[in-house]
Amino acid sequence: MTRPFAFSFCALAAFCSMSPALAQNQQTPTIPTFVEVTDAADIDSVFEGEWEYMVGGGVAVFDCDDDGFPDIFLAGGTAPARFYRNKSAQGGNLTFSPHESGLEIEAVSGAYPIDIDGDGIVDLVLLRVGENIVMRGLGNCRFENANSQWAFDGGDAWSSAFAAIWEHGADWPTIAIGNYIDRNEPMFPWGSCTDNWLHRPDETGSGFAPPLALTPSYCTLSMLFTDWDRSGTPSLRVSNDREYYRGGQEQLWRIEAGQAPRLYDENDGWQQLRIWGMGIASYDLDFNSYPDYFLTSMTDNRLQVLTEIPENGLPWPTYRDVAYARGVTAHRPYTGDEVRPSTAWHAQFEDVNNDGLADLFIAKGNVWEMPDFAIEDPNNLLLQREDGSFFEAGDHAGVASFLTARGGALADFNLNGQLDLVVVNRHDRAQIWQNTSTDLGNWLQIRLAQPGPNRNGIGAWIEVERNGVTMRREVFAGGGHVSGQAGWWHFGLGDTQSGRMRVIWPDGYEDSWQDFSPNSFYTYSRDSAAAPWLPEPLKK
Amino acid sequence: MGGVFRLASSFVRLFKRSAQKHTLRRNPAWNRLCGSHMRQYRDLLAAMIVATVLFQPMGAAAQAGANPQDVLFNWNRMVLELVRHTPTYSPPVASRSFAYLGVTAYEAVASGTDELKSLAGQLNELSLPPQRDPNAHYDEAAILHAALTHGVRNFFGNTGPTGQRAMNAMESQIETMVSASLDEQTLATSIAYGEAVAAHILEWSLTDGGALVENLGFPYEFEPGSSPQSWVPTSTIGLQQAPLLPNWGDNRTFAMPNGATCPVVEPPVYDAQAGSEFYTEAMEVYEAVQAIEPDEEAIARFWSDDPMLSPTPPGHWIAIALQLLRETDAELHDSVDLFARLGISLADSFIGCWHEKYLYDLLRPVTYINLHIDPDWRPILITPPFPEYPSGHSTQSGAAAAVLEAHFGPGFAFSDKTHERDGLGVRSYQDFWHAAEEAAISRLYGGIHYRVAIESGLDQGRCVGAFTNALVTWER
Repeated sequence: MTRPFAFSFCALAAFCSMSPALAQNQQTPTIPTFVEVTDAADIDSVFEGEWEYMVGGGVAVFDCDDDGFPDIFLAGGTAPARFYRNKSAQGGNLTFSPHESGLEIEAVSGAYPIDIDGDGIVDLVLLRVGENIVMRGLGNCRFENANSQWAFDGGDAWSSAFAAIWEHGADWPTIAIGNYIDRNEPMFPWGSCTDNWLHRPDETGSGFAPPLALTPSYCTLSMLFTDWDRSGTPSLRVSNDREYYRGGQEQLWRIEAGQAPRLYDENDGWQQLRIWGMGIASYDLDFNSYPDYFLTSMTDNRLQVLTEIPENGLPWPTYRDVAYARGVTAHRPYTGDEVRPSTAWHAQFEDVNNDGLADLFIAKGNVWEMPDFAIEDPNNLLLQREDGSFFEAGDHAGVASFLTARGGALADFNLNGQLDLVVVNRHDRAQIWQNTSTDLGNWLQIRLAQPGPNRNGIGAWIEVERNGVTMRREVFAGGGHVSGQAGWWHFGLGDTQSGRMRVIWPDGYEDSWQDFSPNSFYTYSRDSAAAPWLPEPLKK
Repeated sequence: MGGVFRLASSFVRLFKRSAQKHTLRRNPAWNRLCGSHMRQYRDLLAAMIVATVLFQPMGAAAQAGANPQDVLFNWNRMVLELVRHTPTYSPPVASRSFAYLGVTAYEAVASGTDELKSLAGQLNELSLPPQRDPNAHYDEAAILHAALTHGVRNFFGNTGPTGQRAMNAMESQIETMVSASLDEQTLATSIAYGEAVAAHILEWSLTDGGALVENLGFPYEFEPGSSPQSWVPTSTIGLQQAPLLPNWGDNRTFAMPNGATCPVVEPPVYDAQAGSEFYTEAMEVYEAVQAIEPDEEAIARFWSDDPMLSPTPPGHWIAIALQLLRETDAELHDSVDLFARLGISLADSFIGCWHEKYLYDLLRPVTYINLHIDPDWRPILITPPFPEYPSGHSTQSGAAAAVLEAHFGPGFAFSDKTHERDGLGVRSYQDFWHAAEEAAISRLYGGIHYRVAIESGLDQGRCVGAFTNALVTWER
C-alpha cells in the first residue's frame, strides 16, 4: 500500500486566510475604517510585569464626569494604573487627558465599573495581584478606597475575573471574583487554582458579607452573570484555564437569592468542555432571545449556541460549537508572516459597521514568548454577514495590531455613533483607534438610569425592533478579559429610519414600547418615556 | 534522622542489588518482599544505625551526598507535569522525550558502575557517550541532576512561562541539595560530565525525524484520501482539520529496526452493508456506548489520557512506573533501567503504530456510525484527530506491559494512582497485562476504536516490547 495523504505547506495567502464560511461566495460586509490615534489622543500606558502578570491587562470604560463621553482606566500591572479623562468633542478627534483620580494604584490586572451604592456615580472594582479594591466614585472622576466602608474583603490572591448582579430583592450587588493560580507555588503550580469568591450583600444591604468560596474553582479568567435560559434569574458562567486545573471544566453556577450556589452538571444537560478559557463575549446573534457565547482560548475559539430551544419551558444548558461553521475559530493569524496558532484574550460583540448585525473583536497576544504560538498575532475584527457567518476584516479595517494584546473595549468615545477601540498590550503601549468610517449605517445608543439600587439596570434586556427584527442586548457587568464597561449600549440599525424600543428590567417588568429616531441617544428610566439625550455642544 | 534513614535505605539497596544480580531479580516473590518487608528491615536498620551514630564523631553522616534517586524521581515528576502543560506534547511527542530522557539518565548512571552496560550499539545510531575520567571524583546525584537539567531544558524549551518558572525552581532547589555536601571540584566535574552525557544524547536525538514539531503537529495543508474508508476530520476544531503527525511512522526507532518492523494484520474490508464484518465492528462500538455501564464509562475516562489534561497515554505508564519504583524502594540502577526501557518501548510503539495508521488510513467509528447507523450518535470520549487503525493506546499499553512485567515480574499486582488528583480515583490490577487490556478496551467503551484495532494494537505492542526487552542493560 502507498501512503494516501499528500502534505505540503500552504501558500499562506491562499489557505491561511480561508475559513469555511469564506470559502463560499458571499457578500462582503461594509468594512469600517479605524485609524490608530494613540499618540494624538495622548494615551500612554503600558501593562508591565512578569509571571504574575502574564494574564490580565484590562481596561475599564465609563463616564465619571457625567458628560456622556466615556473615560478610560488602564491597568498597569506592576506600574501604577492610569486614568484618562475624555476630552473629545462629539464627532471630533479622540482626545484624552491624564487625570489624577485616586486610581493610580499598582498591581492592578483589570477593572470593572459599576455603581455599587446606587448614588448615580460610577464606582470601580480593581482586580489585583494582591488585595482587590472597590473604589467608590466621589464625582468628577475622583475615587477613594471603600473596602472598609463597604466591608469588602479584598483577600490576597491573583484575581483575574469579575461579574456582578443584583440578586432578586437585593439593594446591594453580588460580586463574583475569579481567581487564578496560587502564586506562592513556584515548582508545582499546576493544580493550585485558588478559590473564586462570591461577595453577597450583608444583612444591612449596604455592604458586603464575607465572601463565599465558589468551590470547586478552576483558575478562572472570565466570568459573566447571564440569563442564559431567559428564566429571569441570571446564572454565573465561568471560563477556566485548563492549563492549571485538575479535574476542571467550564462552569455554570445557579445563583439564586438566599440559596447556596449550585453547579449545573450533566444531569442538567451541562456538557463538559475543557479549554484554555480566557474571555467570554455574549450576544443574541440569532435574534432568538437567547444569548450565544464566544469563548476565547489558545488555538481554536468557541462559539456556543443552545442545542435545543423548546417551544414551551426553559432550555437545558446544552450548547454546540458553531465557531467553525461560522468562520470564527480565529485559530491562527490571518495576516502577517506567522502561521503558528493564535492566543485569544478579550472578546466583545458589537456592531462596528452599524449594519444591524453584531460583529466580533478579539484581542490576540502570545502568553509570554511561547515559541509554538504566534508571537506577532494580529487582533481580529470579524464582521457578521446576514447568513450568520463572519468575515475577517481586521487588516482591512486597520486594527490588526501585532502587539501582545490582552484586554480591550469597543466604545463610542466621540459620541458619533461609530464604535472606536482601545486595547491594552502587555509590555507595550495601550492603543486606541478612532472609527473614521464615512459610510456606515444608522445607530441608536441607550443607557439605563433607574432610581435606587442597581441604577444602571444590570440584568435588564434592551430590545430594539426594526424592519421586523427584534435585536436584544443583555445589560451585564463582567465578561471579556478583565475589561469592563458601563454607560451606553449601542445598536447598529443599517438603513432603518424608524422603529421602537423597550427595556425588560431585571425584575422582569416589561416597560412599554417606545418609538425611536435613528442616530440618537436615549436615557431610559423605568416607567418613563425614554429621554433623548444630546452631548453639550462644544462643551470641551 | 533523615540521613540515618537514607543510610539504612542504602544498606537495603545494597542487599537488594546483590540479590538481584544473582537469582532473585526476576522473581515476583522477591519484588513483593522488596515492596513490603524491606520497609520493616529498613526501619530496623535505621534504629540500629541511630544507636551507632550517637557514638560516632560528627561529620560521618554529613559526607553522604544527596540521594541520586531523589534527583531522578523529582525530575521525572516534573517531566510528567511539563508533558501535560506543553502544547506540542501530543502522545507521540511525549513518548519520544520519555525515551531520550530515560536513556540520558541511564547512560549517566551506567558509566559509573560495572553492573550496567551502555545502550550504545544497541539502540539505533547511538554511539558511546562520553565516559568518566577514572582519576576524577564524581557524585552520582550531581551527575544525574546536571544530565536531566540539561535534557529537560532542551526537550521542554518550548514550554510556557509557568513551566519555565517551575524548571528554574526545581533546578535551583535540587542544586542546593546536591551541592550542600560536595567540594567544588567534585561538583564541577560531576556537572560537566552529566551535561556532556545529555549533550551526546541530544545530538543523537536531532536526527531521528521527530525533533521539529510545527503547528502543534498538524500539517498546514491536507488532502484527504479518496476511498470511502479514508479518515476524515472528526471535529470542528480548525487546527485539527489535518491529522496529527502523519510522518511520525518514518522516524528512527530506538530498539526495533524501523517503524514497519511490527506490522498489524489488515483491518476488515470496508463495507457499508449491514451485517458485513466492518459494519459489525462499528455496530459493536455503537452498542457499547449506547448501553455503557458505569464501570465501563469509568474505565473509558480513567484511560482517556487526553493531551493537555493528563500526562498523555505514555505519561500514564511512566507515572505508574514512577509510583511503583517508589513503592518498592527500588535502587537507582533498577530505576534508570526501567525508565530507559519503558521510554524506549513507548516511543517505538508510537512510531510503529503511526506507521500503520497512515498505511491503512481508516476512518473513525463516529464517521462510519453517523453515515451508516445513527447520524446523531456521539462517542463518550473526544475522538483523536488522526486515523483509527490500530489503536495507539493499545499498542503502547501492550509494549509497556511487556516491559513492566519483565522488570517487576509476572503477577505483580498494583494500584494505579496516576489520576488521583484529577478526581478519577485509583484502579487496581492483578498484573500489568490486565491493566494494558483495560487501557485497550477503554477505547471501545469510549467509542473511538473498533475492537480489531484494539486487539491488533495489543499484538503490536507485544512485538515492540520484545525488542525493548532484548536490550542488555545488566552485565551478566
